[in-house]
Amino acid sequence: MSPETQAPHWEWYYIAMYFYIGGISAGAYFIGSLVELLGNVKQREISRIAYYIAFPLICITPILLIADLGQPVRFWHLFFYTKDGIPYINHQSPLSVGTWALLLYSGMSFLSFLRVLGADGRLKSPAVKNLLNLFNRIPHKVYAMIGSFFGFFTAGYTGVLLNTTARPLWEATDPLIGSLFIVSAASTGAAAIALAMSRQNIASGETFVQLEIFDRVAMIVELLLIIVMVIIAGQYAGPILRGWFGLMFWGGTVAVGILVPLWLNWSARRPGSAVNNPVMLSAVLILFGGALLRISLVQAGQM
Amino acid sequence: MAKGMFVDVSICTGCKACQVACKEWNGLEGEPSHFHKVPNVPYPIAFNFTGNSYDNTGSLSATDWRHVRFIEQFNENRSEARWLFSSDSCKHCNDAGCLNACPVKAIVRTDMGNVVVQQDVCIGCKYCIPSCPYGVISFSEKTGTVHKCTLCNDRIHNGLGTACAKACPTGSISFGEVSELKAKADARLVQLKALGHAEANIYGYTEAGGLNVFYLFMDKPSAYGQPEHPVVPQRRLFRSAAITVFTAVAVAVAALISFRERGAKKNEGVKP
Repeated sequence: MSPETQAPHWEWYYIAMYFYIGGISAGAYFIGSLVELLGNVKQREISRIAYYIAFPLICITPILLIADLGQPVRFWHLFFYTKDGIPYINHQSPLSVGTWALLLYSGMSFLSFLRVLGADGRLKSPAVKNLLNLFNRIPHKVYAMIGSFFGFFTAGYTGVLLNTTARPLWEATDPLIGSLFIVSAASTGAAAIALAMSRQNIASGETFVQLEIFDRVAMIVELLLIIVMVIIAGQYAGPILRGWFGLMFWGGTVAVGILVPLWLNWSARRPGSAVNNPVMLSAVLILFGGALLRISLVQAGQM
Repeated sequence: MAKGMFVDVSICTGCKACQVACKEWNGLEGEPSHFHKVPNVPYPIAFNFTGNSYDNTGSLSATDWRHVRFIEQFNENRSEARWLFSSDSCKHCNDAGCLNACPVKAIVRTDMGNVVVQQDVCIGCKYCIPSCPYGVISFSEKTGTVHKCTLCNDRIHNGLGTACAKACPTGSISFGEVSELKAKADARLVQLKALGHAEANIYGYTEAGGLNVFYLFMDKPSAYGQPEHPVVPQRRLFRSAAITVFTAVAVAVAALISFRERGAKKNEGVKP
């Protein structure tokens, strides 16, 4: 372990928020595309809502990423090496590979977004309709397959990126942040879908139950991963055990974001429960906990 | 034909000529003062200057590419003391964490083995900063890019040695071919051991793929603020990625099980 590494001073409102928003988008997308690829007709609603959520959210993320750069105008250097103009990827750098994955994921989520807009008859412009028809020559399942792969990549590489550094907390939690972020992306993505569905009052009971079951599994796995991660971090876990980040991590992420939704989830299943419709509340709490997970891990690692 | 430096801390006197020479040759500005309030002092204090040691900068930074460490060691009742010095800089690792992490190929290795930042390519993503196990590379708010020691890239490509080595009055910093410097270091270590300095050790033969700038320390590396067993972060990348892929597959399976078609009976049980 290195005693004197430097922190990158990434701002929480740029980088941690990118990890969070990108995670929700990618989580919603991979759930939606998996359901489209392998689910049945009744579940199409999940895919539809997921595609509506994924693309607008991922549109926010490049703004956050570019704003955090010291030289924002040079962001295109990530794609082309300036000395020879040839596309560049550094296989050893999660940031480099992740940038390309994010680009491909954005493209696939855009096509899926167009498709649901078209299917709902919301496309008015003939030019956009023609574009959609052009892409429709290939079955959408192909895009969904590629998109779900890069969606998983986008959700998980951010954690691998943190683990692949020499900062004590991030090094000591290796190799689990990537897994934790994927699981959190899944639970926040499912929560975002559930929230959007319950707001529009379009969900059938069965779909909700399935989303709840998936969310419950994701939250239990997330809780286990957090416990294992803190144990393997040992003495280096200090920054997420104490102070503000400790409060965010244990109070926000674990208690409010996982334990309370799990309890709501559980108590709603009991007959005669006082909690009538905990879906929206659970979803909001899960989304809140996911934000604090990214903020506490990204910022505590820089202390 | 890798060039490098050998820093023999046993003959360093802490004069900081190397720090000054580095600043002068590379045209580095003074470190900007960062003032803040401290309790019980009515005026703001520049907290990035130590003020309690001859060590004035405390660490390497975007404008301090050399940092002379002053290590004050005392025994319990302070009757005995030892004062250690070490002039620290970028080690120009053969397996450089910063270079591996750079997503835009701004950080490159030249034909002489030194690692340099191409200022016109760097985008200021700051990912190299936590990727350096030695905390060397630093961000400058002024340029929006990262900076570090270049091993005097301009000088060494024109037949000169590094500015710090040139200025060193005791020969503690020597510049040259790494293989020749290693022979020199080995001979010096034998000499020091014979004089009874049992804790003397050479740091940098194996660390991070071998350091082109390596050290002869009089105490364990951690006493000089160097990691005992530095791990180049990218050497852990495969395991981290593999575990993450495994989790992704597990999540996909969990999704398939959750969203599979359920029997009507079971659903009735869940939502009456």
